[in-house]
Amino acid sequence: MPTKFSLKSWKARIALLLAVIGPGFITANVDNDAGGIFTYSLAGAQFGYTLLWLMIPLTISLIVVQEMAARMGAVTGKGLSDLIREEFGFRLTFFVMVTLVVTNFGNVVAEFAGIASSLELFHWSKYIVVPVAAFVVWALVVRGTYQSVEKIFLAASGFYICYIVAGLLAHPDWKAAAFATVTRPEAAGIRNYSYLTMVIAIVGTTIAPWMQFYLQASVVEKGVTARQYRASRWDVILGCIFTDVVAWFIIVACAATLYANGHHDIADASDAAQALRPLAGEYAYLLFAAGLFNASLFAASILPISTAYAVCEGLGFESGLDKKFHEAPVFYWLYTVLIVAGAGVVLFPRLPLIYVQYITQVANGVVLPLVLVFMLLLTNDRELMGDHANSRGFNIVAWTTVAVMIVLTVLAALTRH
Amino acid sequence: MSLVALSELLGATVRDATGSVRGRVREIAIAPQDHPTRIAYLIVNTTDGERVLPSSALKSCGATVRTVDNASDWDRYTASDGVLLLKRDLLDQQIIDVHGRKVVRVNDVELDSTPVDSHVVLSVLAVDVGTRGAIRRLMQGLVPAFTMRALLDKIPPRVIPWQYVDLLETDPARRVKLKIVYEGLSKLHPADIANIVEDLPPAERESVFETIDEEVAAEALEEIDPRVQVSIVESLDSDRAADIVEEMDPDAAADLLGDLTEQTSGEILEEMEPDERREVRQLLEFGEHTAAGRMTTEYVAISDVSAVSDAVEALKSFEGSREALVTIYLHGISYKLVGAVPLVKIAISPPSTPLRELSEPPVSCAPDTPDDEVAALFDKYNLVTLAVVDEHERLSGIITADDVITMLRHRR
Repeated sequence: MPTKFSLKSWKARIALLLAVIGPGFITANVDNDAGGIFTYSLAGAQFGYTLLWLMIPLTISLIVVQEMAARMGAVTGKGLSDLIREEFGFRLTFFVMVTLVVTNFGNVVAEFAGIASSLELFHWSKYIVVPVAAFVVWALVVRGTYQSVEKIFLAASGFYICYIVAGLLAHPDWKAAAFATVTRPEAAGIRNYSYLTMVIAIVGTTIAPWMQFYLQASVVEKGVTARQYRASRWDVILGCIFTDVVAWFIIVACAATLYANGHHDIADASDAAQALRPLAGEYAYLLFAAGLFNASLFAASILPISTAYAVCEGLGFESGLDKKFHEAPVFYWLYTVLIVAGAGVVLFPRLPLIYVQYITQVANGVVLPLVLVFMLLLTNDRELMGDHANSRGFNIVAWTTVAVMIVLTVLAALTRH
Repeated sequence: MSLVALSELLGATVRDATGSVRGRVREIAIAPQDHPTRIAYLIVNTTDGERVLPSSALKSCGATVRTVDNASDWDRYTASDGVLLLKRDLLDQQIIDVHGRKVVRVNDVELDSTPVDSHVVLSVLAVDVGTRGAIRRLMQGLVPAFTMRALLDKIPPRVIPWQYVDLLETDPARRVKLKIVYEGLSKLHPADIANIVEDLPPAERESVFETIDEEVAAEALEEIDPRVQVSIVESLDSDRAADIVEEMDPDAAADLLGDLTEQTSGEILEEMEPDERREVRQLLEFGEHTAAGRMTTEYVAISDVSAVSDAVEALKSFEGSREALVTIYLHGISYKLVGAVPLVKIAISPPSTPLRELSEPPVSCAPDTPDDEVAALFDKYNLVTLAVVDEHERLSGIITADDVITMLRHRR
């Protein structure tokens, strides 16, 4: 029966698609949040193609780190903060959780700053849109409607393809861009403070500490087991590659438009929107605003709740949206305060929105080695991971990332002034 | 008797009978085979490796541990599976709080030291899951002992007495040695067990379902989220899974098996008793969202010429779920459904009353009636049970109100 056959193959195709769009792919999309878009844009505007060398090692590192988080989730069935608590005790967990809350708070501020900057393009006042957005995010998650909205966010993430198209239409110097991607970095960079912090910010926004907690929790939540892990691994790898391809094109698009025209800084969102001009002409700002708004709202819906979960699970407080407020007070308060205070900071008059979105990504990069060290110790624990413990290659990549990030942070601190 | 926290004892210096420092406490062990709460021994890190300090040699316990014997009497420590190590197995781990009916994380362990003759007896009293234990763990060694005590006294304790603690252990062999049988958990209401199990990591879930009584496991499993149900059943051996599925309501069992892969459900059906297998197989053939998919084949039906006393006998020998008991169905010639008698009427009528006198016209539906029509019938006739009849008007099963509530809630 031919009709039945075609129905089956159609179903199989959908199943395949859904299998690929798992936790890894969602995390990858959230990765390109407000901080990500502005950091990559700034990188292209300020440094042209010169930072493209970073993308290949960064992708390898991202894949290794995310794969570690996903594997830990599948093998142990526990979240990252649970494992840190069980293996390293209360005091260290407390320290990590405080650091996580502080860094993630910065990221929440960045997401709301993203919402403010995107709607600034329509001259909508942040004093109205940010509180409204904060309330929408809060209610979306607490009311449990987030699950159904997630697919809309994901679909709207197709906006990133605009950057790829814009990059293509901007007629960048392909040869120079390709060469810059595979060449080794100039040694002079290590004496340049703004170059160093930009590298830290790019790494920090791409391999954000909070994403590791979020990804591992999603893998656990989805109930992926060690046996089914093979499929999830591909989900993670493809997600990482997608993230970095988009990042590469954002940098190239900005380099070919802003940097090439001597426009070496991004003061507000309308500057960053110029990168989409080759695609959308005078409507570039519309496209940019929509994309940035979606990305910011998407991440703002995930970040506070995933932080509240991670902290409460690690420190042993009641958590979960199925609990009532008085049953899990710490969980709900932490969640609410992160949103209210995060949105509140953005309301400060004359707050440099772009700078906030950039500097929080630098903070991500500085904190990354701390989280990575814990992840490395855990994934190398054979009692915990059994045969799924880290291979040598993974260890080399991940430890190198730790070392490089520490060295970069120290260098950046030294070159300041 | 005096209280001492595990976190205070860990790392405490140990002085033997001579008064000199011999090492530091590394672990504290209970041997559940010998005594469920008493500490069997302390493991002490000495300059000469790890040594076992038997609890019978303890003179006092606190910031300093004093012993009545000499360090030279302590045996060398060798790892053993049969003991519970408080730091490794309990501190920072998740346990089941049987009294509070939830999964909690251990911040500290409270021990009781009572002087008996010339030594002290050390035993586990409770686990600390509150802020007090957390603050102690956080501040220990950073603030002076008296400041800490003053601070901790201000914080109300949140402890779970040891008898309400169910430990989690994923290794089956070790579970036997440590006598972990999830005793407290098994006594809870199946819905509470289900809630707790949903909060556990997969390996711990599996360990609970491997251990607890099949009947309890079956009732709890019925209450668990279908997605989690599937992952639990897939993780179990097929014969253990079959034992549990047999005890489930046939309709719930059929729903569950319908969600499994064909191979897994086939393996489980293979292991089941023939009678149960036949019932479940029949139910599996109906669509899940029809009356037949919702119904159970365990019900009470007797001939319409019987009396109340016969109905009571039928109720006594009925082995299905309680929900199915509220209506006694009557069948007439060639097993046609002719009446329904509510349980209440049976309870208040003399034993000799013919059931026909108590009977009400039965409300029934066809096997292929969709979910929302089933719900509408329950609503319209205020039903507790609904009969499902075949084309010859013979009873094939009944739907109970609890299944309808579940169905309505899941549709949201």
